[in-house]
Amino acid sequence: MITVSRRELLRRFGVGSAVLPFLGNLPSLAATGSTAPKKRLVIVFSPDGVVKKNFWPTEPGPFTTLPQIVQPIELPPILRPLEPFREQLLMLKGVHDKVQGDGDRHMRGMGCLLTGIELFPGNIQGGGETPAGWSSGLSIDQEIKNFLQSRPETATRMGSLEFGVLVPNRADTWTRMIYTGPNKPVTPIDDPYQMFHKLYGQMKDRESMRSVLDELHEDLATVSSALPAEDRRILEEHAALVRGFEKEMASHHAEVAHAVPVLEQGIVEQNDQMPKISRMQIELVVASLAADFTRVASLQYTNSVGQPHMKWIGVEEGQHDLSHEPNSNEAAQEKLTKINTWYAGEVAHLAKRLAETPEPGGDGSLLDHTTILWTNELGEGNSHSLDDIPWLMVGKGLGFTMGRALDFKGVPHNRFHLAIAHAMGHTGLVRFGNPDYCGDGPLTGLV
Amino acid sequence: MLGIRMPLWTALGCAGWLACLSLPTSPLAAADHPGLAIYREHCSRCHGDAGAGTPDVPEPLVGDRSVNQLAAYIHETMPEDDPSKVTGDAARQVAEYIHGGFYSAVARDRNRPARVELSRLTVRQYQNTAADLIASFRNRGPGIDDRRGLRAEYFHTRDFNRQTGLVFEQIDPQVDFSFGLEGPDPERFQPNRFAIRWTGSIVPPETGIYEFVIRTEHSAKLAVNTAWYEPPLIDAYVKSGNDTEYKANILLLGGRSYPLRLEFSKANQGVDKKNEHSTQASIQLLWRPPHGVLETVPERCLIPHDSAEVFVVKTPFPPDDKSIGYERGTSVSPEWFAAATAASVEIADYVINHIEHLAHTKRDSPDRADKLKQFATTFATRAFRRPLTDHVRTLVVDRAFADAPDLDAALKRSMLLVLGSPRFLFHTEAAAPPTTGTEAAASGKPDSFATAARLSFGLWDSIPDQPLWDAAAKNQLVTAEQVRRQAERMVNDRRTRSKLRDFLFAWLRVDHGPEIVKDKTRYSEFSPEIAADMRASLELFVDDVAWGAGGSDFRRLFTDDEVYLNGRLAPLYGAKLRPDAAFRRVRLDDGRRAGVLSHPYMASVLSYAAATSPIHRGVFLARSVMGNVLKPPQEAVTPLAPDLHPDLSTRERVALQTSSVACQTCHTMINPLGFALEEFDPIGRYRTAEIRGDMQKPIDASGSYLPREGPQATFRGARELSATIATSRDAQEAFVQQLFHALVKQPMRAWGPDTLETLRKQFAANNCDIRRLLVDIMTVAALPPPTAPPQPVPAPQNPAEQASVPEKTP
Repeated sequence: MITVSRRELLRRFGVGSAVLPFLGNLPSLAATGSTAPKKRLVIVFSPDGVVKKNFWPTEPGPFTTLPQIVQPIELPPILRPLEPFREQLLMLKGVHDKVQGDGDRHMRGMGCLLTGIELFPGNIQGGGETPAGWSSGLSIDQEIKNFLQSRPETATRMGSLEFGVLVPNRADTWTRMIYTGPNKPVTPIDDPYQMFHKLYGQMKDRESMRSVLDELHEDLATVSSALPAEDRRILEEHAALVRGFEKEMASHHAEVAHAVPVLEQGIVEQNDQMPKISRMQIELVVASLAADFTRVASLQYTNSVGQPHMKWIGVEEGQHDLSHEPNSNEAAQEKLTKINTWYAGEVAHLAKRLAETPEPGGDGSLLDHTTILWTNELGEGNSHSLDDIPWLMVGKGLGFTMGRALDFKGVPHNRFHLAIAHAMGHTGLVRFGNPDYCGDGPLTGLV
Repeated sequence: MLGIRMPLWTALGCAGWLACLSLPTSPLAAADHPGLAIYREHCSRCHGDAGAGTPDVPEPLVGDRSVNQLAAYIHETMPEDDPSKVTGDAARQVAEYIHGGFYSAVARDRNRPARVELSRLTVRQYQNTAADLIASFRNRGPGIDDRRGLRAEYFHTRDFNRQTGLVFEQIDPQVDFSFGLEGPDPERFQPNRFAIRWTGSIVPPETGIYEFVIRTEHSAKLAVNTAWYEPPLIDAYVKSGNDTEYKANILLLGGRSYPLRLEFSKANQGVDKKNEHSTQASIQLLWRPPHGVLETVPERCLIPHDSAEVFVVKTPFPPDDKSIGYERGTSVSPEWFAAATAASVEIADYVINHIEHLAHTKRDSPDRADKLKQFATTFATRAFRRPLTDHVRTLVVDRAFADAPDLDAALKRSMLLVLGSPRFLFHTEAAAPPTTGTEAAASGKPDSFATAARLSFGLWDSIPDQPLWDAAAKNQLVTAEQVRRQAERMVNDRRTRSKLRDFLFAWLRVDHGPEIVKDKTRYSEFSPEIAADMRASLELFVDDVAWGAGGSDFRRLFTDDEVYLNGRLAPLYGAKLRPDAAFRRVRLDDGRRAGVLSHPYMASVLSYAAATSPIHRGVFLARSVMGNVLKPPQEAVTPLAPDLHPDLSTRERVALQTSSVACQTCHTMINPLGFALEEFDPIGRYRTAEIRGDMQKPIDASGSYLPREGPQATFRGARELSATIATSRDAQEAFVQQLFHALVKQPMRAWGPDTLETLRKQFAANNCDIRRLLVDIMTVAALPPPTAPPQPVPAPQNPAEQASVPEKTP
């Protein structure tokens, strides 16, 4: 993997040492003049499987009204919030997580979902099967990130960003889906303020420093005037450094070309704030893509075995408890449908915000150059099935033919990962995860 | 030694050369210059003593001619009445004298009366001040505690609930356990299901990056210097694959204690199915200190009680100027400014992230604005080391709170103003006169707040604590006696110990952690672990001398005949200890040892890979211990290879190489000092003969030293040398002067020309008590120099610049 070092970055931008600690929020590193359209990927995770009958269309076929000869299939109940994007949806059924090995299905569902490779043996005991540890490989988003960062025309300041919403404060196989390598899980940032600081902290620091410079000069002058003449020399040198700093900062004033999102203050991380936190994170995702801080992002709602209590839609019970109820429990099925419809609504909101945002320096909207991939660690909660993992794409970033549902009838999901990587330009990737599941190469028929 | 890496010339500032004595080195040395007599005979009649001028020729004799130009000028024109009286060599000699004594810009600068210069905080002072500023808003940690090890709680469960799982607790000296398949105790624990939690504090020996390492086959978490609710330094709760070793780095400041918690659990985690298999279990807590090797964290660095977490500023600073032997802050640079600015943001962010705790307020409480403003005022007061005048408070607090969009932004602005102010960054108290309008200014007495700051920076490299502040607020730091009482109290503090330790290592010229390389054939037992143990042994020894029961006697540094050894070092020096024995004092070689002079670490550092280096040892003694000024030789000289002179002993070889007249000016001092330590081989073992190949010669350890005053001393071997040093006025003088500069970071002469001799006499009269010397130095240096400082230009009359000294300080 080739990365651009901070030093190299500074060299490219010709920045002096005094502003070094304050340098950030650089626009895209992409070489100016590069005209290739940008491609972006945002992976959204929600837990505990779906209600299959309300998630999948009764049969594969087109969502779109074009061509008019074919009757479009009706959007399933859970997907109704995505109605405005019907023509930009692509749904894949029959793409299974076939990875075996240690760990219960929630663990493998989570740890192998994006890695396509077995968990290491370990000490984390699940609800069944053998104990396991972390995944033994990196996740597809990090594979793509490494590829993009290795090329000057696609390298970005952040490379990738890992967002979370109410991810529990513990690191184990159920709470981590992103890996930079074997045994190297990535902690998603589920505090919007922390993410904001990561994205804009240095810019804010510059603003703070600018706001105090007048007082600093005044203070220096007062102190200096009370000193013996011999001692003023060093303070005069100091004052000159302050002035130089001021000039350097002024010359780097207009770095952020887009509006910085304004977050509501004082939101604490707790169950009932989940809707607000979700929307704050979505705003930050959109802003990061618009600013080209990154072209790869993920947004993880809770965790595998996630247990939000969605009181705001009238569901008091925890999601994971409900997901264990049999399909015959109509009340539970209805609540789980509501829960998953809420997640679909958040995906739709993300799509809406991307669609409303013009593509910087390009045609159309951000959504025309971004694909959201919504997925889940299980196909179904009560059976803990790893077959028919939900894969729903929104947006045209990957260049797939949208507006339809496809059924691959049981191919390993590694092949889908390969197809995503190829669509993102990483066409040299021939295997990903466990090679045994990559047999026929990237999934075909998507474009 | 050719072909083997040469160690540490740089340590002695000689960059691969043999050392040479310099002439002349100071205006005093000019008194010996042959040009002086000529000057007195022919020149001073008109030009006066030292070129000061006379009624006939009032202009002082100063200028910018070079020595050659000056000599030519004198040769042609001087003295005016008869230029033929001073010509040729005489003209050249008198030119040299005049030029070096008072004529040139360099000489004039040197002759300027020494003064306390305005300086900024050194890096060490910045780090300590930041830590103590934050700590002043927290509960104080415990004081110095002699207990060692960690508190250990043993549970028969996989988690750490004392009510349901605690079996017993005890103090464990360190964490290095192999439980095998059985567990800690088959009677009381299931072999595959138990947990242990170790808690307490860790005391790092010096400032730097520490790598912590946990080795275990099971679940573990290590927290160092974090609150319980923050992420641990190492989270190995998940055991995955073959990983059994987990590492993380952390920056720690020396001289402080940090909270440490290690949790270990042998069981499957996650869903509790009680289905564990029989497996091996072990747990080890290791670290790699700066200058050290990976080792089990030793008992001596662990304390079984809790500490408050310490704020450690992570922004890296460029190193301070150490060109005149001690770190000082008399210059600023863009790199330093960038670091200080970044550090101010780092500190401000930390404060804002911890403000609920530090300012005792909640985010939504109605008095939050008042609490934050009060906090900012107290923070500024402590950072500036004096009560705020109305003007200053308006500048750094009120305006920040009036203008900012929200409270967090206001607090941040105030922090940035305080931390960017010269009142924080510079020792303005050392240079500025008492604030106009204060009682101190009116009385003409020393400003107690300035005195408090000088005391605390002198002993701790940090800001005053509450008792010191209280004394300053009552203006009770005016007399030497008042200052002495505070200094005596303050000496007994971990920060003083740390500062003294760092000084002693600098005095021994090993503060940079020299790398030691030894010949693998001749010293097969030698290893990096041995080298690290040697250094630890020296640390223990100097700490013991300074703070142990022996009375803090400087002379013991040379005369003590015991060495701290552990199980690994013991066999090298012929001592019998258990292989796993911790460090203890051992008397070696029938009393032939002589403190630091023969200490294994010093003997090894001051040697080559396969041979001793009497020159390194002699330079160290002449320069550092005896306080003589040596300059590097003007030409680089490669040491003679032993193989080229197989029949010569090391002593004979060194004598041969340094026999030229040019070398002898310095080596007459260096060699006879270094030769006296020939009894100790390149790894510090006692020997009576030097054996190399076919050569075998008895050791000749006779030596001598000519002090700056008095007759030449002669001695044979380290013991006699140690007796000479222990009573040497030169050694006392050198120690007093170097310690003064390390503490105060200002030229000692600024306190008057007699300061050194006064302090030395006190030191000698007090049985060379180092702790008392610390107090004596600070009693002098915390008060302003007796001579009147140059008058400041009157400050602009600012009516706001009226000090309002609160009765009770924050």
